[in-house]
Amino acid sequence: MDLDFTPEQQLFRDEVRTWLAEHAPTEPRPHDAGAMREYDLAWQRAQWEGGWAGIAWPKEYGGSGLSTVQQLIWYEEYARAGLPAIDACFVGLNHAGPTLIAKAGEEQKSFHLPRILRGEVVWCQGFSEPEAGSDLAALSTRGEIDGDELVVTGQKIWTSFAHIADYQELLVRTDREGSKHHGITWVIADMRSPGIDVRPIETIDGGAEFCEVFYDNVRIPLSNVVGRRDDGWRVAMSTLSFERGTAYTASQVRLSKVVENLIQLARERTGPNGRPMITDDEVARRLATARAEVASLRAMTYAGICRNLQSATPGPEGSMLKLYYSDIAKRVARLAMDVLGPEGLHFVTRWVPGGWSGNYFYSFSASIGGGTSEIQRNIIGERVLGLPR
Amino acid sequence: MDLLPSAEQRELTSAAAEFFAEQIPVSTIRERRDEPTAIAAKLWTAGAELGLLGLSAPEEVGGSGRDLPDEALLFREVGRALVPGPFVTTVLGARLAASTGNHELATNIVEGRCAVAAGLLNAARLSPEQLTGRVRVVDPGGTGYVLVVGTDGAGLVETAALADVRPLESIDPGSRLADATADDTPVTCWVAASDDPIRLRGAVLTAAQLVGIAEATRDLATEHAKTRVQFGRPIGVHQAVKHRCADMAVNADAALQQTLFAAVCLATGRADATFQVLAAKVVAGRAAIDNAAECIQIHGGMGYTYEHDAHLYLKRAHVLDQLFGSRTDHLTPLLAEAAAQ
Repeated sequence: MDLDFTPEQQLFRDEVRTWLAEHAPTEPRPHDAGAMREYDLAWQRAQWEGGWAGIAWPKEYGGSGLSTVQQLIWYEEYARAGLPAIDACFVGLNHAGPTLIAKAGEEQKSFHLPRILRGEVVWCQGFSEPEAGSDLAALSTRGEIDGDELVVTGQKIWTSFAHIADYQELLVRTDREGSKHHGITWVIADMRSPGIDVRPIETIDGGAEFCEVFYDNVRIPLSNVVGRRDDGWRVAMSTLSFERGTAYTASQVRLSKVVENLIQLARERTGPNGRPMITDDEVARRLATARAEVASLRAMTYAGICRNLQSATPGPEGSMLKLYYSDIAKRVARLAMDVLGPEGLHFVTRWVPGGWSGNYFYSFSASIGGGTSEIQRNIIGERVLGLPR
Repeated sequence: MDLLPSAEQRELTSAAAEFFAEQIPVSTIRERRDEPTAIAAKLWTAGAELGLLGLSAPEEVGGSGRDLPDEALLFREVGRALVPGPFVTTVLGARLAASTGNHELATNIVEGRCAVAAGLLNAARLSPEQLTGRVRVVDPGGTGYVLVVGTDGAGLVETAALADVRPLESIDPGSRLADATADDTPVTCWVAASDDPIRLRGAVLTAAQLVGIAEATRDLATEHAKTRVQFGRPIGVHQAVKHRCADMAVNADAALQQTLFAAVCLATGRADATFQVLAAKVVAGRAAIDNAAECIQIHGGMGYTYEHDAHLYLKRAHVLDQLFGSRTDHLTPLLAEAAAQ
């Protein structure tokens, strides 16, 4: 057992640190959808040009072919530099991309993967429906086969960035016979196809990236199907395992930085008695507990990466990380509100430094998106512990 | 970077786990309830013969000279099997004796002829030379020495040199307890914390035992949830029970990974080792107590009986939580540490 990075990995860390210091964007991320898209894609493009895009992706599709350890080092340095996530590129880099690498045909891979890495396209996820949330396999958006096309009619919801996306990983029902897990197809939808109507949904953190998407006889070439037709459940599950396995590594690593920033805030802010908030016993104990918890989250993340180095497909243990992460993230966000006191009543978006109030409301999404904490507990209970369904 | 136990480490710990399961099943705690020591002398010796007391001790005193992470993995098994007896303090006592050149004592300890109890100092005054004040001793029976640990360092006092020894009823049937008075009692084998952080080593090994308890109670509760049938179905189909088990799994894994992480940090002298060890003790203490408490709840009425094992895990968890600094003790120093590396 060791925590040593090889000289090669240390060199990699130094290079990342230097590059980030010289190239990270300094202007704040804009709110306006179009400008946000350009900002996120430009930053992704800059990473590509610097040779940092797709660190653990295969070389033949534009990645660097390095291991998840280097990927971790990148996330650590990225968090240390206090840089925000590239939200608009999240689905492409962490869901769609890894799924395509695992399940797509050669043509699909060589067309889409480099575009994702080069920051040319935004992807969104079309999984949830109004009547298929936690019960994802109950989805009913129809995909009828007509010649060499799939004709899609129905509705998706909770689709982040649909209004600025180029492509969507879309689950449709292509067979209504048999079990509900059969007859689902995973297909790439071009968001500019006629018949797609995107309507934004405002969220509790003031974000404007959430959308619902309506499909009215949208024609998608059958060549866009990933994996076998009617076998999309299995393809989708591999996406979700990635999401729970490694896609959150960046957020987990960033949470340590958030806790340290909060401790600093508690040292600087004075409470009603005129003394720093950190001298309040309850606040101090909660901050210390948060430190211990994020430390253990990081240790779990490291162990998860070590497991992933041994087996390519993440197992159900990813759900433990996802569950623990979202619990801690919510506790920390709420603690920040207590440290802020009356100052917390001022809404400040999470995209600017000191955006604790915005972050507090955003933190509620952690235990809902990507499978609710209740679903994660089902998965842990049934697939890790072997409890009966 | 590799945080997963190696094949060799797994082999090492599974041999110990086998010995515990065969020779010291949890039921022996109930059987020895009224004996002066919680572990039989012959089993203590058998454990020593197996090398359990000398895993990290130098070879010249009969040890195997292994690293702290190996020892942490062993103590995880000690915790999981709920093995009674002052193992952690005895192992640390051997380390103190060996590093101060008292090879005869170190050999005696490693070979199982001299056990070392835990001293909880409360308000007692400890210097490198002597100890004065009232001390609470955990598992004093049959021991030659008591390990005393302060912030500056750690040493040993002879058990027989303590006066006014008053046995107390322990909450844990697997631990023995007494209060005693030290009056300028000489301290031997003193090692400064700057030379060897005995307190932090003890915290790691105790955290590892707490990890074992968190894992054992997770498994006990899960097994019961799979087999206990009510309303015609196993109770584990219900989310109210299933989700408790899932939370126990997360608690146990967080505690395990942080404890191994801390063990590696301390063994390699990483700058944030203190931070990581304090975090491990906090997380593992809470995981063990929470899981053991949930385990009682999931067992319902059976879990409330003396005859069932569930309460034994909870009670030991509370004892271990108090050794080498409790969760409460560690929070303030943890916040005072510099940020993790």
